Amino acid sequence: MADSPEAIKRHIKLYLLIGATLFACTLLTVAVAKFEFLDFGSRGFGTADMVIGLLIALFKATLVALIFMHLNHEKKMIYWFFGMGIVFGFFLIALTGLAFSDPIYFEGFFGR
Amino acid sequence: MEIPYIVEPRKDTGLNNSKIAIWLFLASEVMLFGGLFSGYVFLRVYADYPWPERTLPVLPGLINTFVLIGSSVTVVFAWVSLKLRQWRKFQIYMTITIVCAALFMVLKGIEYKAKFAHQAIRLDDYTVIEGHAHPQGAHADHTDHGDHGDHDGHAAHGAHGPKKNLNISAESVQINLRRVDDIYYEVLGAQYDDGGFVLADEVKLSGGAVLAKGAKISKALIEQAKDDFLDAVANNSELDIAANREAWVDVRAALPGKRYWEKDVKELLVKQISLRKAERKDQYRLPVPSLTFVPASGQAQISVDPYWGKLSNPKQGEKANLKLKDQTVIFGIAADSSIGLDVDGIDFRHTVMKAEEKGIDPTVAINNSWLLQHENMKAIWEKHKLITAKLEERIKDKGHKPTENDIYRINWQEIAGLQEKTIEELETMSHAEILALYPGDIEGFAGPNHSKIEFPSITVPREQVRFESVFSPRWNTYYATYFTITGLHGLHVIAGALVLAYYLFFGRKMYNENPEWLANRVEIGGLFWHFVDLVWIFLFPILYLM
Repeated sequence: MADSPEAIKRHIKLYLLIGATLFACTLLTVAVAKFEFLDFGSRGFGTADMVIGLLIALFKATLVALIFMHLNHEKKMIYWFFGMGIVFGFFLIALTGLAFSDPIYFEGFFGR
Repeated sequence: MEIPYIVEPRKDTGLNNSKIAIWLFLASEVMLFGGLFSGYVFLRVYADYPWPERTLPVLPGLINTFVLIGSSVTVVFAWVSLKLRQWRKFQIYMTITIVCAALFMVLKGIEYKAKFAHQAIRLDDYTVIEGHAHPQGAHADHTDHGDHGDHDGHAAHGAHGPKKNLNISAESVQINLRRVDDIYYEVLGAQYDDGGFVLADEVKLSGGAVLAKGAKISKALIEQAKDDFLDAVANNSELDIAANREAWVDVRAALPGKRYWEKDVKELLVKQISLRKAERKDQYRLPVPSLTFVPASGQAQISVDPYWGKLSNPKQGEKANLKLKDQTVIFGIAADSSIGLDVDGIDFRHTVMKAEEKGIDPTVAINNSWLLQHENMKAIWEKHKLITAKLEERIKDKGHKPTENDIYRINWQEIAGLQEKTIEELETMSHAEILALYPGDIEGFAGPNHSKIEFPSITVPREQVRFESVFSPRWNTYYATYFTITGLHGLHVIAGALVLAYYLFFGRKMYNENPEWLANRVEIGGLFWHFVDLVWIFLFPILYLM
C-alpha cells in the first residue's frame, strides 16, 4: 500500500475533514427528522424522510468505507470479498420480497 | 513459530494475510447484519399493529453516534501514530477510542434499563397505555404520592413488592405428581406454609404407605408421593412389557409361520396379552397421580408472578383457577390482580385500526374505550383533541395534515407538560406556546423521569388486560428487532474494544521488536472498528428516526 510515512502525513487533514463531515451529516439527519421546516414530503415520517435518511446514512457509510477503511486504494481481491458480501446482503433483503408473491398460491409457479 | 506474510504482502494476492482474513470476516458480517435488517424490513412492512414510529428518545442515540464516529477518527489516528512511530500519541488516541467504547455501552445500558422499567399494557379494546407500574395494594387512584414521591422511581418501587402478580383466594391446590417441579414448591412454599395447607383426604399410596388426612404440605411429603407415583408407573409398564413379550412367544408357538398382519395372529395376540396381564394382576400398582391440599382455614391467599401461570378467569370475586406451568392447579376465587400504572403514554392507533377493520367509526370506538371512562384520562384526551385542532390549524397553509401519530398518540411530554394547565387556559394559547410547555430532550434523556414528574394514575383490572409487558423484546416485533440488532451491535463494540485494549496494554513489546507488525494489527483492529461504526450509521436513523 502507499502507506509511507510521508503519504500518511498528507492524509491527516483528510481524516479530520471526513470526521467533521460525518458529525455534520449526523446532525443533518436528526434535523430533518426533528425540525418542522425541514420536514420533507407529508408531515411526520414518510417515504421522503426514509429516502433522505437512508441516503445520508449511505453517504456516511461510503465515506467511512472509502477513507477510514482505505477502500479508495485497495487491492482487487478485497473489492471482491466486500462487494460480494454486500451483494449477498442485499439479496437477503430482497428475499423478503418473495413474500409479496407467495409461490404456494401463485398459479404460474407450480403450473396449477 | 514464524507466521508468514504478516507484514510483507504475499506475491499472489498482493496483500498480507491478516488483511485478507479481516475482510473475509467483514464480508460475512455484512451478510449477518444484512439478514437482520432484512428481518426488520419484513416485520415492519407486514406488521399487524401500528408500528412504533420515532418513539425512542433520540438524544442517547445521537450522542452514541457522535461517540462512535469520534472513536473511528481516533482509531485512525492511533494507526497513523504507529506508522509515524509515535508511541505516546498512539497510547493517547487508543485510550480515547476505548473510553468512547465504554461510554457507548454505558449509554446503551441507560437506554435498556429505562426500557425494562417501562410498562406497557394493551387493553382489551386495544388501547395501549404506557407507564410505570406500582406495587399491588398500594395503588388506588391517589392524588398524593407522599409515600413514594421522592425516590428514584421504579428502582425503589420494586422494593415495595410485586406489581403484576396474579392473586387468588385458594380453596384447594391440586399438585400433579408427574409434573411437579421443585422450583414451584420453592416459589410457592412459603405461601403454602402461611396458608396452612393440609392434605384434603387420606391418600393410600400404591406402595402401601398411607398419607393421613390433614398432613401438612411439605416438600418431603410431595417427594414421597411423587416417587411412589413414578415407581408405580415404572412397575406397571415393566409388567406390560413382560406380558406382551410372553404373549408373542405364545402366538409364535401356536401359529408357526404366520405373519403378524394376518387376522388370526392379531386376534390371538390380543387374547394372550390380556391373559398374561391377568396372570400378573396382583403385581400391578394403582398410581396416585395427584395430591389435593386445602388451606386450614378454608381459604388462603396465593400470589404468583404471571410468568409462572395463567388465571382462567381474572375477574375479581368470581370462581377461577390458577394453572401453573407444572400443571399444579389452584382452585378458588379470583382476588384483585389489577395493575396500577402511572400513565405516561396513551396510544389509540391500535383501537382505531381494529375499529376500522370492523367498520366502526374510530371516534366512537375511542369515546367508548374503557380508558376514557376515567376522569383523569378523559381530561388528557380532551386536551389532546384541542392540541390536535390547533396543530391542524397551524400547518394547514403548508398543505400538511396531522398524522395518525399526531391524532391518536399522546406522548409523555404532552402529559407531563400540560398537567398543570386547564383546558380553558390552553384554549387561549397558541400551538407554539403549548409546545414550549413540554419537557425538553435533556429532561427526558432516556424517557419519562418518574422520580421528577408525577403522572396520572390508573388502576387496570386484570380482565381489561389483553397483553402486558415491559418494553422488552416480548412487547412487540419492533422492540424484538431493536434489542436483537442493538444487542448484537453492542457485543461487537465490546469485542472490538477488547482487541484494541489488548494492543494498547500489551503492544509495547511488539512495538519495540517489530513496530510495523503492531501497526498492521492496529489497522486490522481498526477495520473491524470502522465496520462497527458503519453498522451504527444505519442503525441510528432506522431505529431512532424512522
